[in-house]
Amino acid sequence: MDFPIWPDWPPRFGALLPVGLALILTALAGEASRRARLPTVSGYAAAGLLLGPVLLGSFDASELAGYRSALELCLALLLFELGMRLDVRWFSANPWLFATSLAEIALSFLLTFSALQAISGDTMLALAIAAISVGTSPVVVMRVVAEQRASGQVTDRLLALCALNAAASVVLLKLVMGGLHGVHGGGGIALLHPLYLLVGSIVGGMLIAAAYAGLRKIVGAESEQGPAATIALLVVAVAVLHALRLPLALAPLIGGALVRWLDPRPHLWASQFGSVTSTLVIVAFILAGATANLSHLALGAGLALVAIAARALGKLGGTLAFGDRSGLDRSRSFALGMALMPLSVLALLQVEDVRQVFPEFGERIQAVVLAMTAVLGALGAIATRWALLHSRESRIGDR
Amino acid sequence: MRLESFAPSRALSIGVELELQLVGTHDYDLAPVAEDLLRALSRTELQGDIKPEMTCSMIELSTGVCDQYETICAQLESLRDALGSAARRLNVGICGGGTHAFQNWGERRIFDGPRFQYLSDLYGYLAKQFTVFGQHVHVGCPSPDIALYLLHGLSRYIPHLIALSASSPFVQGQDTGFESARLNSVLAFPLSGRAPFVDNWRDFERYFEKMASTGVVSSMKDFYWDIRPKPEYGTIEIRVMDTPLTVQRAAAVAAYIQTLARYLMIERPLRLAEDDYLVYTFNRFQACRFGYQGVYVHPETHEHTPIAEAIASSIECIEQHAIELGTDAVLAGLRADALAGRNDARWLRAQHEDGAPLAEVVMAQCTRWAQGGAM
Repeated sequence: MDFPIWPDWPPRFGALLPVGLALILTALAGEASRRARLPTVSGYAAAGLLLGPVLLGSFDASELAGYRSALELCLALLLFELGMRLDVRWFSANPWLFATSLAEIALSFLLTFSALQAISGDTMLALAIAAISVGTSPVVVMRVVAEQRASGQVTDRLLALCALNAAASVVLLKLVMGGLHGVHGGGGIALLHPLYLLVGSIVGGMLIAAAYAGLRKIVGAESEQGPAATIALLVVAVAVLHALRLPLALAPLIGGALVRWLDPRPHLWASQFGSVTSTLVIVAFILAGATANLSHLALGAGLALVAIAARALGKLGGTLAFGDRSGLDRSRSFALGMALMPLSVLALLQVEDVRQVFPEFGERIQAVVLAMTAVLGALGAIATRWALLHSRESRIGDR
Repeated sequence: MRLESFAPSRALSIGVELELQLVGTHDYDLAPVAEDLLRALSRTELQGDIKPEMTCSMIELSTGVCDQYETICAQLESLRDALGSAARRLNVGICGGGTHAFQNWGERRIFDGPRFQYLSDLYGYLAKQFTVFGQHVHVGCPSPDIALYLLHGLSRYIPHLIALSASSPFVQGQDTGFESARLNSVLAFPLSGRAPFVDNWRDFERYFEKMASTGVVSSMKDFYWDIRPKPEYGTIEIRVMDTPLTVQRAAAVAAYIQTLARYLMIERPLRLAEDDYLVYTFNRFQACRFGYQGVYVHPETHEHTPIAEAIASSIECIEQHAIELGTDAVLAGLRADALAGRNDARWLRAQHEDGAPLAEVVMAQCTRWAQGGAM
């Protein structure tokens, strides 16, 4: 009888080995980036886009499915934390801040859409990319803020706008996809499916918030179990959202914001995730890039550059339009707009969602979005960091 | 370098300055938002003034020249409310308290201004460690000699004022065991402590010129004394108090100082002597460390009493003056607080004892500052 006790020759490693190697190299890229006085995430983003396809490109989606949950968990954790930093009361105390957010979302959507529509003539493509362009990468923004230990008005507004951008981008893209369903599958589904996603995400957010509040009642605010239990809670949430085919980004964000709304005490468990999130962030960058086809990069480059310029105009126009009225001077309003530049993991994940349902259409937008994130992942992080330093909100730069 | 001449001011007029903490509402750590707040307030008419301070997480509000306790109270409340509404628009928290409970001084940023940058260069890390928050009270004096008499007379009541205003038990995340740990940061400065024993203005000018000729000081601002004369305002400035957690407490402490000053100016009850200062630093330490329970050594009789009793008997002694000034009710409240051991330091410790993390204590401080109210 043949017992499988001796190694095969040549040995078979599966996806784990290249994933591990890619992680080490990405971590080293982050370190190189830090030594070059750049944000560490710039290194991650660049390395993820190169190493992901090179090392993992040969594996198909099913082999990487297990690792993808690490990416999704990372996103859920960061969006939950981001949600908790989103103080909805602030918008009623300062409506101009909400106006800033709306203006910046609307302008970046409209400008990106019109520019792409004029050039490519493809309305659906322009709509989908415009929807993705509305987003600002929560992963990049939160890592840069954490790295700089930033605090102040630009930081607080950046995080609030980043949360709303991420939410708006997910919702807009779902609506665009609803439109696609309408083209491919009839009117009922075009309306019902986005509605299901929205209501499902809200209910999901409520459940996450309720579970977190329950945990917080039992576990003391300064205990070690708190962060661990919260991570576990989000693992459960990711599993459930997956099973229900709900967007991963929305429910944790809504859950976090609800926690803050119902209980304004400081919630610092999330900021104690520390090295867990930093490891997950590296995984996220690697896997977000894994499905990318580098030959597409050049294909989408032209449209991507136009979209990047239009999006930048929209973001800066929005923050400058109401900056003064919302209580931020011109130079810091400009900094706020610049800080909103990063586009990265969430955008790639959104593209992947589209691709799973509409493979051919997904390929086309992937080419453009991939090229956008190649620029805005690494350079966006630099822009965010510049904005925080320029506004003197970094708490490590002054030493 | 000559000392500027003393510009006489209305006797017993009062001005109050409060240094306040600016915190983020996410983690309740200090946040560098002074510039944004000042900008938000630039279009608001204020009864008094709001100014930047040494680091960007501090702001100072000051009343105009007031004569009555009620006016001080009203001005402080209106300044607090103006600041509060600007702070809400920026989603930042404002609170009293002599220290921030858990800030890391290394993360502070010096406010952009020539004097602050000069002080930062001179004192190095002491400047950032000086992220502490005090209440300063100016008392108007009709002549410089009266100012010096008042300065030395009031120095006997320094322990009383420290115990009544103490609100800095926590430093860098730890309970220091002190009621007012803030004053320990002040003591690190070379020219802190008490003023020299000089009882007439001519001698004081001579002292200042000698000091100036050594090149150590160039203006009265370089002295960090507990009480110092402020010739250009015609006042003496009492600087030992922690910023209380409410404007009501700040106004009550100012009323106590005003009433003591009236007693000293009109009755001239003390024969001042250099030896009064033999017990000064001991008394001051006892007040910082133990608050009301500290030992007060009487400078003349050398009798030892708890500071709470010293406060109570001082308030009884000046009752007539309190009635004249209309401060009797508020002083009766302070007396009752002293005897019952109520102060802001105790309130802060009580918040923490429930197991609440310090961030939640700071949040409670912000609520208390915004809403005011009794102990």
